[in-house]
Formats: sequence, C-alpha cells, structure tokens
Amino acid sequence: MSLISLRGIEKYYGTYHALRGIDLDIGAGEFFSLLGPSGCGKTTLLRVIAGFEGVSEGTVTISDRDMTRVPPNKRPTNMVFQSYAIFPHLTVAQNVAFGLRRRSDLNRQAKDTLVEEALDMVGLGGFGARASTALSGGQRQRVALARALVLRPKVLLLDEPLSALDKKMREQMQVELIRLQRQVGITFILVTHDQEEALVMSDRIAVMFDGKIAQLAEAEALYRRPVSRRVAEFIGVMNFLPATVADGVVDAQGLGKIVVEDLQSEATTDGETMVGFRPETATLLFPGQDSEGRVARGTVSEVVYYGDMTYYDVRLDGCERPVRISMRNVFGRPVLDIGAEARLAWSPGALTLFR
Amino acid sequence: MQQETTRGLTLIAPPLLYAVALMAGPLLAIVVFSFWTQDYLTIDRTLTLANYREALSDPIYRAILLRSLWISGLVTLITVALAFPVAYFVSFHVDPSKKSLWLFLITIPFWTSYLLRIFLWKVMLGFNGVLNSIFAYINIPLEALGNATGIAWLQEGLSAPLYSASAVVLTLSHAFAPFAILPIFVALEKIDRSLLEAARDLGETAVTTFLRVTLPLAAPGVVAALLIVFIPTVGDYVTPAQVGGPGGLMIANMIQTQFLGLNNAPMGATLAVLAMLVVTVIALATIWLARRLSGVRP
Repeated sequence: MSLISLRGIEKYYGTYHALRGIDLDIGAGEFFSLLGPSGCGKTTLLRVIAGFEGVSEGTVTISDRDMTRVPPNKRPTNMVFQSYAIFPHLTVAQNVAFGLRRRSDLNRQAKDTLVEEALDMVGLGGFGARASTALSGGQRQRVALARALVLRPKVLLLDEPLSALDKKMREQMQVELIRLQRQVGITFILVTHDQEEALVMSDRIAVMFDGKIAQLAEAEALYRRPVSRRVAEFIGVMNFLPATVADGVVDAQGLGKIVVEDLQSEATTDGETMVGFRPETATLLFPGQDSEGRVARGTVSEVVYYGDMTYYDVRLDGCERPVRISMRNVFGRPVLDIGAEARLAWSPGALTLFR
Repeated sequence: MQQETTRGLTLIAPPLLYAVALMAGPLLAIVVFSFWTQDYLTIDRTLTLANYREALSDPIYRAILLRSLWISGLVTLITVALAFPVAYFVSFHVDPSKKSLWLFLITIPFWTSYLLRIFLWKVMLGFNGVLNSIFAYINIPLEALGNATGIAWLQEGLSAPLYSASAVVLTLSHAFAPFAILPIFVALEKIDRSLLEAARDLGETAVTTFLRVTLPLAAPGVVAALLIVFIPTVGDYVTPAQVGGPGGLMIANMIQTQFLGLNNAPMGATLAVLAMLVVTVIALATIWLARRLSGVRP
C-alpha cells in the first residue's frame, strides 16, 4: 500500500507546462529521490506534495486522504528547505520547538524533552541555547532536520538539502541522512540534481526530464538498464556506438555483429540505432593477457591517471569517436601509454540497445 | 602612515569645518546660553541652573512640552500604523518589476515644497474648506459625532477643523508617511520568503505566521520608522505655527517665542536643551525595548 499517491498531476505557470501527467506511488518508510537537471520540475513536484503549489489537474493523496486542496500547515509532511530557512530571531532550541507550539497535548517539559532528543539525534546536543545566526552551514542543516523530524511527520521532504555544503560535509551528511531515515522509519523524499547522491541514498529514484518521469527504478536497475539515451547520459558515463539492426542481429561499429538475444534489452524494429556500455563493463587487456570472450581492437588516444583508477580513451578500429574505459589499478597491472595498441575485452550482456 | 593621515584629514576638512561651524558650534552655544540668564536687556553670564528650575516648575512649559510629545507620539503611531500595510503590500503583493515604480509614486509628494503641502491642508481643513463643504453637503451630525468621540473641533460643529491639535496631527502624519514606509519596506524586503513557507510547513496559519515570523523580523524597520517620524516631529515648528492655532502650539513655537518674541534667549536655549534630552531618552528607550521584544542579541 502506498503512502503517497499522485494521479495525473498537471501544473501550468501561465502557458509554461511545468508538470506533465505525473503518476507516482511512494511507499511508507521509503527513501525516494526525484532526480533531474534544473528546470525539470522536480522541485515543483516536491512543493506540490508539500502543498506550497496547487495543481492545475490531478490529485494528491497522502495516507488515503485527498490532500489536493489542503494547505501545507494541515498536511502530515514537513520540509527541509534548500536555504534551510532557519528563523534568525530565534535560538536553536526555539527553532526546533517552533512547530510544537500547536501541540496542546504536551506540557512545556515534554516539549523541551522532545527538542533535546531531536537535537541529540542530529548530533547537536547542547546547542539549544545558541543563537541560530552563529551556526555553520552544516549545523543549520541539522537544525532544519531536527525542526522537521521533531514533529514526526509521515513524510519528510528534502529540497536539495546538501547542495550548499562542501564535498566532504556532503558525503558525511549523506551517510547521516540514511542513518536517520532508518532510525525514524518515516518516508524521505529527496530532490537532487546530483546523480551520485541519488544512487547512494535512495531505495528508488524517479528521473525527471521536462516535467515528466523518464524512468522510475531502483538505483542499480537505473544504472544498469537506463531506458533511454538521455537517462543513460544523466546517470554516470556511458559510451555510445552507432549500430544497425537487421534480422535479429545488431552490427555495432567497432564491436562487430551481436545476436539481439544476447543483449540486455531487445530492439523491436530493424534500422539505425545505438548500443551503449558503461566504462567499467569492458576490460582493457595488457600485453600478454588473453581473454576467452570477445575482443575489439583499437588505439589508446588519452590516458588520465587518478591513482586508484586510470581512465582511457580508446579509439576502436572503424569508429570515429573514442570510447571511455575505466580500469582499477590493481597490483601488477601496467598503465598503457597514449598511442599503444589496445585490445578491449567485452561481453554482449553488458551492452544496452537503445531504440 | 603620517602622509596617509594628513591626506585623509585634508580630504575631510571642508565638510568637517562646515559641520563644526554650523552644527557643533551653535549646539555648544545653545548649551552655554541655557546656563545664562536674561536680565531685562542684557544677558547675565553667571552660570546658573535657574532657567532649568523655572522650565521644569512652570506649568506652561511643562504643558507645552507634554503636548509636543503627545502630538508627535500620536503622529508617530498613526503614521507607522498606516505605513506598515502600505509597505507590506508593496513588498509582498506587488510584482517585483513594478516595486520601484510604486516606491517612486510614494515619494512623489516630496517633490512639492513642505510649505506648499501645509497650505494645501489649510485649503482642505479651513472653514470654507473641502472637508467642511463635504460635511455640510451630506449633513453629517458633527456635534453628535464629536461628543461621541471626544474630538474637540467636531464638538463645535461646523467650526473649522483647522487651527487645532488634530489638524497638526493630520498634516504631520501625511507629510511623514514616506519616511515611515521606506524603512519598513526595506526590512520586509530582507525577509527570506522561505522562512514564511517554513512557518506554514511547521503548522502555522497565514495569520500566526505573520505574528511569529514576519512581524519580529520587520521590527528593526518599524523601530527605525518610529524614530524617523518621532524625532523630527517633536521639534516641528512650521506645521503647528500654520495649522495649529493656540491649541496646537508645540515646544518649537515656544522656543521661537522665547528667542524672538520675549527676547529671552537663555530660556529658549534651556527649552531647546530639555527637548533634545527628552527626545534622546525616549529614542534610546525605544531601541532598548525593541531589542528586548524582538529577541535579537547584540
């Protein structure tokens, strides 16, 4: 049973069509991500769920109650804003206690306890009396989290919460958000433009382009089996090779002929198309090494050494554009030079055939 | 370093000399004068507190000073209370591209001389003025209205609303409106709109969001508006002289009378110093109170 149900959501700003027929079900306790480039409608969709934006058409159901016309203060959702929106005129504890004021069932002491617990949970125990203006970016983020979580919402909405933090802080907060979500067990909906963040944190990811959901899948499925070239390019790196399909056989430039059944996805029609593979799914053989599978030949055109990894650009024989290959620098494997002859071991199962 | 200092001093010398000659000098003279006394045609230059004693004990001076504070206090409250909705509307409900046009329109009254605006109010409020003509035409029971509200000029029926404390309040409130609107507008503009959404998200209604977030964050602007209106209106001289009548005279008019009418410059100086002290105390108290109420720590 789903906690949040969106049906036929359409949103217009004047003539601009921001959301185009969104149907989405999000389960209780799920860590769900809305991923897409800026302007794809992901934040608008989050604000529709929160109640800050009305819809032009469609319905929003949360816990079996129609919430389409319910204002944000009456919804069982709380939001962590991109700017954190910490009240500058209140202390840290007053910020966290802001939403508890309406809880007439709690006395002052019970509220103080809840605030203290919430601050402990986000690692800010003892910060209650501080002025909220004296906090660092990461601390403000934690206050925003505590302020929302103290109300025990059914859904926590996070609008690009990590985009303002530096890389190290961001990685630390990613882990912490996952831990928090498991601890409190409520549904998290995260909006992000960072594919890595979405892959690391989410149970399921909806990739959005132009106000539509392009693909909805678990992280691994999304990475391994993107439904379109656009999704594949947005999530990580993928090499594309032009190919022709005829009579159940694909002829891919630089790789040769492959039987369609061996590929990850099957094309339905004959004609010009593309095959794609991830940089880590093919292996560059070093001199003297052999492979029992299929091997394509070419020349190394670029080497980027990263310490633990080496990225190669390899121009396959018969191809115009080079493909990118990533190799882990395990002990004993030499790094090839630019211009060296390259033999690429690959397998049809790692290829994705696009329509 | 030496050279830098010399150059800096040279650069600020003209305005500094100007300020010393025309601000600090006269101010010092006023303070010195206030400790002297007038001895018929000559000034007795022995330092004494006699003027202060007289100013604080004579009921006339006290009454006029209190009336000044009362009138400008009322002007301040009315102006700020009316300015807030205007500033709020421009900040929150006017399309961002049209905000500067609105501010421009609000400041248009400033393009006319202050004196001309006072004369326009005289036309409005005079016995045969616009306001009275309207009252006479639609036959409003002014006496009854005046008795009910306690406003003096209404109780007298169709006597002119001009030449009363109410006329002073009305004229000053109109004149100082833009001064109050602008600082409040700036304070409202600075409020991060996501704070208001956060309050709604945390369960507050539109009204309680206003009370718990918008108002406290706008407090610095409101305090600035209060002071910007209060400080100059306490010492305003032209408006009470023109539209105040005997019941609307303020401390500045009394100071003028002392200096020029009664030839008692030391007493005028004493009243001026007292007025400045009272305004300073009230201004500081307002700032202190606002800091405490809005919870902003220094």
